[in-house]
Amino acid sequence: MFWHNFKYTLKVVLRDHALIFWTFAFPLILATFFFLAFSNITSSESLDIIDLAVVDNEAWKDDQIFRPALQELSNESSDDQLFNTKYVSRAEAEQLLESDEITAFLLLEEPAQDTQSPASPPVPTIFTSKSNIDSTIVQSVVESIAEQASIITTILHENPAALKDLAKAEKANIVDQSSSNLDYVMIEYYTLIAMICLYGGIIGMVAVNQLLADMSMSGRRIAISPARKSALVFAALCASYLIQLVAVAILFLFLIFVLHVDFGTHLPLIILLALIGSLAGLALGVLLAAAIKSTANTKVGLILAITMFGCFLAGMMGITMKYLVDTNLPLLNRLNPANLITDGLYSLYYYDTFDRYWGNIITLVIISLVMISISVYSLRKEQYDRL
Amino acid sequence: MPKADKTPKTPKTATSKPIKPTKTSELAEITKNVIEVRHLTKTYKNPKTKKPLKAVDDLSFDVKEGEILGLLGPNGSGKSTTINCLLSLLKFDKGTIKIFGETMSPSAYDLKRQIGVVFQEVAVFEELKVQDNIDFFCGLYIKDKTERKKCVDDAIKLVGLEDFRKFYPKQLSGGLLRRLNIACGIAHRPKLIFLDEPTVAVDPQSRQHILDNIETLRRKGTTVVYTTHYMEEVEQLCDRIIILDKGKIIASGTNEELKKLVKNKPVKQVAGPTLNDVFLELTGKELRD
Repeated sequence: MFWHNFKYTLKVVLRDHALIFWTFAFPLILATFFFLAFSNITSSESLDIIDLAVVDNEAWKDDQIFRPALQELSNESSDDQLFNTKYVSRAEAEQLLESDEITAFLLLEEPAQDTQSPASPPVPTIFTSKSNIDSTIVQSVVESIAEQASIITTILHENPAALKDLAKAEKANIVDQSSSNLDYVMIEYYTLIAMICLYGGIIGMVAVNQLLADMSMSGRRIAISPARKSALVFAALCASYLIQLVAVAILFLFLIFVLHVDFGTHLPLIILLALIGSLAGLALGVLLAAAIKSTANTKVGLILAITMFGCFLAGMMGITMKYLVDTNLPLLNRLNPANLITDGLYSLYYYDTFDRYWGNIITLVIISLVMISISVYSLRKEQYDRL
Repeated sequence: MPKADKTPKTPKTATSKPIKPTKTSELAEITKNVIEVRHLTKTYKNPKTKKPLKAVDDLSFDVKEGEILGLLGPNGSGKSTTINCLLSLLKFDKGTIKIFGETMSPSAYDLKRQIGVVFQEVAVFEELKVQDNIDFFCGLYIKDKTERKKCVDDAIKLVGLEDFRKFYPKQLSGGLLRRLNIACGIAHRPKLIFLDEPTVAVDPQSRQHILDNIETLRRKGTTVVYTTHYMEEVEQLCDRIIILDKGKIIASGTNEELKKLVKNKPVKQVAGPTLNDVFLELTGKELRD
């Protein structure tokens, strides 16, 4: 009986062309839109090398602070190159600035000497024609160097011995302990995965609607047969799950091999969460099909609305909502399948341990089983007031 | 409203009390009544007035084994409600329903295995081909593959769909679709069949084919409950007729017994009143909803 119902449920669902489009094609289209929308965000944030000029005057030639710093930042063979620096006269610098060949030019001047104050470092002046991010960067770098120069000069005058310790200070390195993919655009793809998992509930709903006497005439014929509802629902659920698994697999293959989305080192865990999330989505669809007495279109609208609202509470349209719900109504998000999926994916991104991840997986499994049990129970021995 | 003569009483058996077998199949061999309905009552709430509306009002009748019972009535008389209650699709307020001697319920799987239904609306999957449709529904009753294949082939042959096995329902004409509908309802060789207006919107050739199929079922000993608005079908097929109106039985009997009830004889009458005359005499000529 199981294989009989399983086989025919597959045939019926796969022949529903509209459903197949929304299940298989729509996620790929949405993924492509995501890719086109977000692929340049990170690249647009990377810093371009800034064209800079330095007035090659006496103060510059004698300077021991700004000159080595800027030469290091202008080193073409270095990965940290920030500037493309030209050393020109003042007149040439002004000309280059006017013709937009450079972002800014730096002029070092000797400070006015005060016999009672320590020797001061040269005074830098930045000349720029536009107020944009590049000019802001130049200004920030120069100010930072000037500040360091002032500190060193003061130490040199007041406590020269301390300068040795400063020279010995090792450069602090930032070591990336995270093994996750730190690209924040991944969060948008996690959102996509969670949505596709939950929208799979529509497949479950369509498969179960076929079994209901008040939804279709074929459902009425099934209802008067000796086939047990629990067996029919189980077979329908398995067939729907298989279709959803194939859809999720195609999505992942498309994301990885066509769009070249890098999921980092946790891909197997992401896939596992997607599979469990798909089960939860299907269970939700089956529950709504069994419990709601209304037309097929109303049920589909309901599952879309519930899924989107769940996604909204999970912070998909803005992470602030997730924090608000987690703070004020934590139980709501602990039971929200959309939040459990996205939270599980985020936990792979933020945490080094998997406790939160496995906790979300287990909760999703329990919620799925509860929803399926309620559906089967409500369909057993079902009779209607009217047909 | 006068009723026709009472149906002949069941002849008494040799034993004073009927033997109660333990298996449904044994029941079917001993009992004369396949269906026993007693005081069936079903009330709906009128959606407009919110007042209770009795769709079936204290209905009691029997269906004997092997007979074709015609269940007639104007629209809204309670025919479909009665059938849906008999099939345990609808909840009812009062009464008892016994099929093959056992109380009918949603979990009476042994009883359901012996019942087939041909609904008025076509009840097939648009996404499955003709053969797959019949195989699927037959598979809900018969698990054995070999036996099921035989049943499916026999059903396709009975309704004349051999050349259309690989067609989808939307590729079939109205008559062929009705035949598919019948095949899906009878493929598992039920002992009791409900046919709810099976010849609606069907051309005369297909209609005659369907009626011939029902005759074939009768010859095999199948009990049939047949509803229709076509009186000539009832005259041709039915052994006994029940006429419902407003949820009550207003007449029951054989074709000839019911014809005797006609008072207002048509002006031109060559061969006597028809069943159509009987129907209109008893239920009136006003249009119903």
